[in-house]
Amino acid sequence: MSSETQTSALREYWQRGRGQANLMIGLAVTLTLVAVALVSLVWTPYTVSAIDIPGKLQPPSADHWLGTDQFGRDVLSRIMAGAVNSIAVSLVAVGIGAGIGVPLGALAAARRGLVEEVVMRFNDFTFAFPALLSAVMITALFGPGAINAIIAIGIFNIPVFARLTRAAALSLWKRDFVLAARVAGRGRTRITIDHILPNIASLLIVQMTIQFALAILAEAGLSYLGLGTQPPNPSWGKMLNEAQTLMFIAPQLAVFPGLAIMVTVLGLNLLGDGLRDLLDPRLRRLR
Amino acid sequence: MTLLSLQDLRVTIATPEGPATLLDGVSFDLAAGEQLGIVGESGCGKSMTALAVMGLLPAAARAEGHVIFEGKNLLALDEDALCQIRGRRIAMVFQEPMTALNPVKTIGDQVAEGLRWHMGLGRGEAETRAVKLLDRVGLPQPRFAPGLYPHQLSGGQRQRVVIAIALACDPAVLIADEPTTALDVTSQAEILDLLADVTAEARMALMLITHDLAVVWQNTASMLVMYAGCVVERGTTAAVFERMAHPYTRGLLAASPHALDRALPAGRRLATIPGRVPDPQHRPQGCVFAGRCSRAAPDCLPGPPAERALEDGHRVACLHPHGAELPA
Repeated sequence: MSSETQTSALREYWQRGRGQANLMIGLAVTLTLVAVALVSLVWTPYTVSAIDIPGKLQPPSADHWLGTDQFGRDVLSRIMAGAVNSIAVSLVAVGIGAGIGVPLGALAAARRGLVEEVVMRFNDFTFAFPALLSAVMITALFGPGAINAIIAIGIFNIPVFARLTRAAALSLWKRDFVLAARVAGRGRTRITIDHILPNIASLLIVQMTIQFALAILAEAGLSYLGLGTQPPNPSWGKMLNEAQTLMFIAPQLAVFPGLAIMVTVLGLNLLGDGLRDLLDPRLRRLR
Repeated sequence: MTLLSLQDLRVTIATPEGPATLLDGVSFDLAAGEQLGIVGESGCGKSMTALAVMGLLPAAARAEGHVIFEGKNLLALDEDALCQIRGRRIAMVFQEPMTALNPVKTIGDQVAEGLRWHMGLGRGEAETRAVKLLDRVGLPQPRFAPGLYPHQLSGGQRQRVVIAIALACDPAVLIADEPTTALDVTSQAEILDLLADVTAEARMALMLITHDLAVVWQNTASMLVMYAGCVVERGTTAAVFERMAHPYTRGLLAASPHALDRALPAGRRLATIPGRVPDPQHRPQGCVFAGRCSRAAPDCLPGPPAERALEDGHRVACLHPHGAELPA
């Protein structure tokens, strides 16, 4: 395709996508999150880790829009900086999961036989441990910290993607157009890249947005247990953890990071839903 | 000149109840530019023959014998070598155009794919050729832009796309496996005419697989009649239709609603062939058709009948063919 037809395809996507409420809301939430994270890299209302003991536990005010925590740190600034953390965690964890899981699942579906058995039993083995427990185990082994938490979450995303890819690919391998591609002289690898993956892309994109949301939750969970992001670096889960003991004195400390997690997860799910509808050419109307 | 030669092709498939024989000694030659029809009822091994030539038998199936194409035995080639032949030298058109196209790729991309892969053409060049091919199969621009998706086309139009894909690399052999079965009657005639045109134009050999005798009559020069994995009658299409020596061939014609122009009197029911195709796991020792044949005699049972020659290269595998009692 020439670049001209590609631009017109993009324009067509935009015109069709504009009418979908869930896609547009999801996109707006996600873009806002990314924008907030980017802004926090260069500017936050207050220094993220600046302690101000006399001004601790303030309720929301004109000076501190979302109040201050038990050390007098500005909650808005910490939520903004926490967004960077959440995005990094979810991107890398889902990247690890999809980057390894999708090829493994596609390989299992394409080769069948022993290769499939080995890959899928390895998956079952990974799945047999509760994800959070295993993440605790990994961080216990390699020490707590944001990077280890990301890797632990990523590893437990691998079987999710491997299974989904294999199941979807298996049903496609039986389809006539795959036989047609084989008749046309394409090898298994080319067929996987040219025919199988484009057909399951919409499925994978939806699963990715779900896993993004789950990864943010998992990171929050690990940080809540003290195994993820270490103080004084901000993380939404860590903020929830610290707010727990102050629930009756300053409930807003738990509400705002919790709200941030909720809105982000909701936005990503809406985005995934909308993208699936948008990317499936079968749902495209006749011109 | 013989292009493709099947010699005693035998395909068995392993099942939990033991091996089942799907093809039992199929032999035939296909010359460049020849139009060969293969006819038979469902499950008689027509499609299996096509898949065996392509090297795409199910994993549990084993093929013996020889499939000689351009001097090479395809059954002995490895997957990489076969990939160089499939689509490049031997192409195939499928029965079901609704599912033979990838739903998420544009028709232009799907036609161009083979050109880029086998012919090493660049993006732009392949697209230009793809547009020409679409035009050749009766999908002119700008109505049928290469950016359309399969679901935006009708069944007949999709089958044209499938034909364009098959023609893309200018193969020597085109296998059409029931190319019109899924189409309505008006599209059927158009698609068959198109296949005849494009193969004649490029002196491409056409292997037309069908259960419809009328299609064979109108579109092929020579034909094979298959039954239960065996070739039971072969010859030029004219000679086979003239004589119809094998009882099975006669049964097929009698069971066909529009073969030739023998209009069916109103209210009369179509003839059927009693019984069913023998179970591939329990094939009879003798003639495979004997169990359903009205002319079967005791000598049909001990062993399979050898092919015997009638006039004009017409051959039949039957001990008691029609017309044998008449002076030739």
